[in-house]
Amino acid sequence: MDPMLIKLAFGGLAVLGCIGLIFGIGLGLAAHKFAVEINPKIEEVKEVLAGAQ
Amino acid sequence: MKKANFYSGLLALLLGVLLLSGCETEHRFIKKVSFKGGNQIVVVFAGPVDQRWAENRDNYAVYEKPDPDILLSITEVQLSQDRRTVTLTFEDELNQDQPHIVSMRQIMSEGRSLGTAIVTAKKLYFGHLFSILIGAMIIHNFVFTKYLGLCVFFGTSQKKSTAVGMGITFTIVMVASAMMSWFLYQFVLKPFRLDFLQIIVFIGLVSLSVQAVDTILRKINPVLFKAFGVYLVLVIANCIILAVPLILADNEYNAMESLMLAVGAGTGFLIALFLMSSVREKLEIANVPPTYRGLPIAFVVAGLFALAFMGFSGMSIF
Repeated sequence: MDPMLIKLAFGGLAVLGCIGLIFGIGLGLAAHKFAVEINPKIEEVKEVLAGAQ
Repeated sequence: MKKANFYSGLLALLLGVLLLSGCETEHRFIKKVSFKGGNQIVVVFAGPVDQRWAENRDNYAVYEKPDPDILLSITEVQLSQDRRTVTLTFEDELNQDQPHIVSMRQIMSEGRSLGTAIVTAKKLYFGHLFSILIGAMIIHNFVFTKYLGLCVFFGTSQKKSTAVGMGITFTIVMVASAMMSWFLYQFVLKPFRLDFLQIIVFIGLVSLSVQAVDTILRKINPVLFKAFGVYLVLVIANCIILAVPLILADNEYNAMESLMLAVGAGTGFLIALFLMSSVREKLEIANVPPTYRGLPIAFVVAGLFALAFMGFSGMSIF
């Protein structure tokens, strides 16, 4: 294989990995900061119901 | 209150930076490049240039931005009295809808070489932006002339209220993801020569912006979030939102042009949804043959709209 292509492939992996990591952390922080409290009873009631629909 | 002031100030600063970055010329010695008449380009320099350099026709190469290999033939080069303005006259009429690249070899000013300058001649900048906006909105409407985003278009155009909600959500997500993809394309993908991966990156960006809008809106404005409901997630499945980043990467748009394209595409989709939902609300009470009820007649209506929008084709603004 051409070493240029291998370099490009690993470079691409690194760059896309970094982008994904940054965005993942960003989304995680956003989800933490804008968290909405959901009443746990809603889930429990849903469990008990028949749930055909 | 204070916080709102802060955010609006930040927004104004951002817009200012974007506008300035769009207006600058690309070389420090060249003040202005503009079209004049039908077949002339005027270049204004910051200082006097040498007459021998300026009047040599071989120092200039001019081409339309999309076709770099077709050089336009220059018939005459005129230097003004104060040696600051050069007027290039061309053999043929210039197609002023396309930006023209003017490349000047080794500019000589008072015996010193100032390097090669490659600058772009465009029509009036704001007119250019406006024509991109109106073009994406009406003349090349993504739904009616490019047949993109049809599944969401037919799925959410049954009622006016859902159609407008979908259109607005779509525009917001579109602008956010288009600006991010412009940034990533210009400053990450192109420098690393990874532009062949643009589709994968853009898909990721679209889902990122949808997820971010979903999370933030859920907390900040639960009423609006309820109103958007399932449409927010449906935006991911829309191909207009992927087409816009690809178009702006293809045309090498700058930040302002990308913003205009995104806003135009979003409002164009909103207009299409609104028109379609108004007609479909009326169709509910119309006497449609049973085989045509529902989706088939909607396709017929969409075809008629597409025909009507063909009337705009070929128009140009400014």
